[in-house]
Amino acid sequence: MKTEQVTHSGKHQRKWKKEFNNVNMAERLLSLAAGGILLAKHYKHPLASPLKVLTGAFLVYRGISGNCPLYTGLDKNSNETNAINTRVIFTVNKPREEVYKYWRQLENLPFFMSHLQRVEQKNDTTSEWIAKIPGGVGTIKWNAEIVKEIPNELIGWQSVENSTIDNAGKVEFYDAPRGQGTVLKVIFSYHPPAGALGEGVAKLFNPLFKTLLKEDIRAFKQVIEAGEVATTKGQASGRK
Amino acid sequence: MRALCWNGVRDLRVERVPDPEILNPKDAIIKVTMSSVCGSDLHLINGFVPSMRAGDIIGHEFIGEVVETGVGVKNLKKGDRVVVVSVIGCGECQHCKEETWSLCDNSNPNGLLQEKIYQYPTAGIFGYSHLFGGYAGSHAEYIRVPFADHGAFKIPEDISDEKAVFVSDGVPTGYMAAEMAAVKPGDIVAVWGAGGVGQMAIQCAYAMGAERVIAIDRIDYRLAYAARYSGADILNYEDTDVLEELKEATGGRGPDCCIDAVGMEAHTTGIEHIYDKTKQLLRLESDRAAVLRQAIMACRKGGTVSVVGVYAGLVDKIPMGLFMNKGLTIRGGQMHGQRYVPMLFDLIRREIINPEFLLTHPVSLEVGQNAYEMFNNKTNKCMRAVFKPFN
Ligand SMILES: [Zn+2]
Ligand SMILES: [Zn+2]
Repeated sequence: MKTEQVTHSGKHQRKWKKEFNNVNMAERLLSLAAGGILLAKHYKHPLASPLKVLTGAFLVYRGISGNCPLYTGLDKNSNETNAINTRVIFTVNKPREEVYKYWRQLENLPFFMSHLQRVEQKNDTTSEWIAKIPGGVGTIKWNAEIVKEIPNELIGWQSVENSTIDNAGKVEFYDAPRGQGTVLKVIFSYHPPAGALGEGVAKLFNPLFKTLLKEDIRAFKQVIEAGEVATTKGQASGRK
Repeated sequence: MRALCWNGVRDLRVERVPDPEILNPKDAIIKVTMSSVCGSDLHLINGFVPSMRAGDIIGHEFIGEVVETGVGVKNLKKGDRVVVVSVIGCGECQHCKEETWSLCDNSNPNGLLQEKIYQYPTAGIFGYSHLFGGYAGSHAEYIRVPFADHGAFKIPEDISDEKAVFVSDGVPTGYMAAEMAAVKPGDIVAVWGAGGVGQMAIQCAYAMGAERVIAIDRIDYRLAYAARYSGADILNYEDTDVLEELKEATGGRGPDCCIDAVGMEAHTTGIEHIYDKTKQLLRLESDRAAVLRQAIMACRKGGTVSVVGVYAGLVDKIPMGLFMNKGLTIRGGQMHGQRYVPMLFDLIRREIINPEFLLTHPVSLEVGQNAYEMFNNKTNKCMRAVFKPFN
C-alpha cells in the first residue's frame, strides 16, 4: 500500500502524454469549458442541464493539468496541494455489509457514475478506469489504486502517478441510527488547474462537480435500494 | 398516441406524441380508460407551480388496463384492470417501508432540483411538473407507470370504473386529510373546500366517527353536493362570518379538527384576498393562504389543522401566535395512496364512502381545454370532468 505524501512542487508538472495530443487537446477542452461558462450563464432551463457535460469537461481539463497524490489530503479543507474536496453524506436503507460489498466491487461504479464507462479490476488493489469524454470526443483511461481499506468501514483510493486524471476518493460506512441502513460519507478530491485562470475555472466548476457527485450518489442509492434509477429520459411528450 | 399537453398558461391542446415505452425493469404500460381532472392541476395550468415545460402531458388520477410489463414486474399481467396511485413510490427506501410513500427518496428523477427548494427530494407524481419528476401524465391513451408493482392495484370486480378512478388520488387524499386531522368519534370537523378532495374528507371524517362535519365553500352547487352526497352541514363564506358561525355551531369551543382542502389559490373575501392576490402576482408570496389562516383561527384550543390543499412555496401572515398559544397541531402532506387503496376499496364496497357522484362530466381528450375551463370556473355544476381517451 502506498500512502506517503509527495509534496507538490514545480518539478511535479504534468508531462503531457503523447497519445493525449497535448496542447490541442488542452485548448479544445479549455474552450469547451469556457463555452460551458457561457452556457451555464445563459441557458434558461434548469432541467435540460448541461451540467454533466460541463463537469465532465472540467474533470478532463483539470485531469491533464497536474498529478499529485491526493489521498492523504482528503480530510483537510485546504492544504499545500490546493486539492478541492467535495463531500456528500447520505443514508441508504440497506445493511452496511451489503452496501460496502457493492461499492468495493469497483466494476459496479459505472452503473451509477454517469461519466464512467467501465472500471476493470486488474488485481486486488489496482483498477483501470475508463471515462467518456463529453461531446463524443472519445474516452480516457487511468489507473487507480486502493490505498486504504477497512472491510465494512472504509475504502480509499487514488489515481496512480502519471495518470491522465488526478483524483482521489474515500468512502466511510457507518450504521444509521435505529438500525435503519447505512450512512455513507463520500469525499472526492481533485487538483485544480495551475495558475489564476485555473483557480477561477475551478471555483466556477466546483459546484458543478459537486452536483455531478450528488447525482451519482443519488443514483447509487436508487440502484442499491430500488434496483433501478428513476428516469423520464425517452418518455413521450408533446415537445417537438 | 393522443395526449393532452400543456403548452403554456391556460393553453392545453391534444397532440400526437410517441407511445410510451418501458424504460426501466419495474415499469408497466397502462392503457388509460379514465383520467380525472384534479384541483391541483389548476395550479399547474394557471402557472402557479414552477418547472412546467411546453409539451408536458398533464393528469395524475386514472385507471386503465395493463398492456405491457417490464421484466422486473411481478404482481401485474396483461389485461389487469388497475387503479394507479398518483404518487410514485419505489417500495424500498426508508419512507416507502414506513408507508409514507409520497416521501419516497428514489422516485423523483429531478430530486436534486427539488432539494434546492425543499432541502430533501419528495416522490415523483404523474403529470405534475418537473419539480415532481417530470413524469408524463395520464390525460393520454397510454401511460408509463414506474414501480408498477407498488403503485398499480387491481380493481375488485364489484367496484365500477366510475368509483375506482377516484381511488387514484381524490379518495386517499380525503382519507389522509381526516386521518391527519385525527378525527375521533364525536368530533366536530370543519372542511374548507367542497371539491372532490373536500367531499371525500367529509365522508372519511364521518367514517372515523365524526358527529358533525361542516363544509365551507363559496360555490352553492358544491355545497349542495356536500349536503346531499356527503351529509355535511354547509357554510357559504360569502354570505356569512365563518368564524362566528363555527363558534355558534360548536357551543363556542370551535371545531376539533380543521381541514384545508383548498390550498394555495384560496379565495376569501375583502381586503385579505386583494392583499394575497397582489403579493402572489408580484411573486412576493407564491401561495395565497386565506384558508389556512382561517382554519388556524377557527380551530378549538388543542385541536388539529390538517392541510391537503396544495401549497408550493411561501405564504405569509400565518397567525403563529394563535397556533402556539392555542396549542394546535398542524399536519400536512401529499397522500400516501399505496397505504390506503385496499382499505378504501373495502370502504367503498361497504358503501361507507362513495365517490361516484364526483363524476359529473365524462368527456373526450379533445375538449380538454374547455373541460378545465368549466372545472376552473365552476360552471355546469361540474365536480370532476373525467377523460375517456378512447371514446
Ligand atoms: Zn390530485
Ligand atoms: Zn421509496
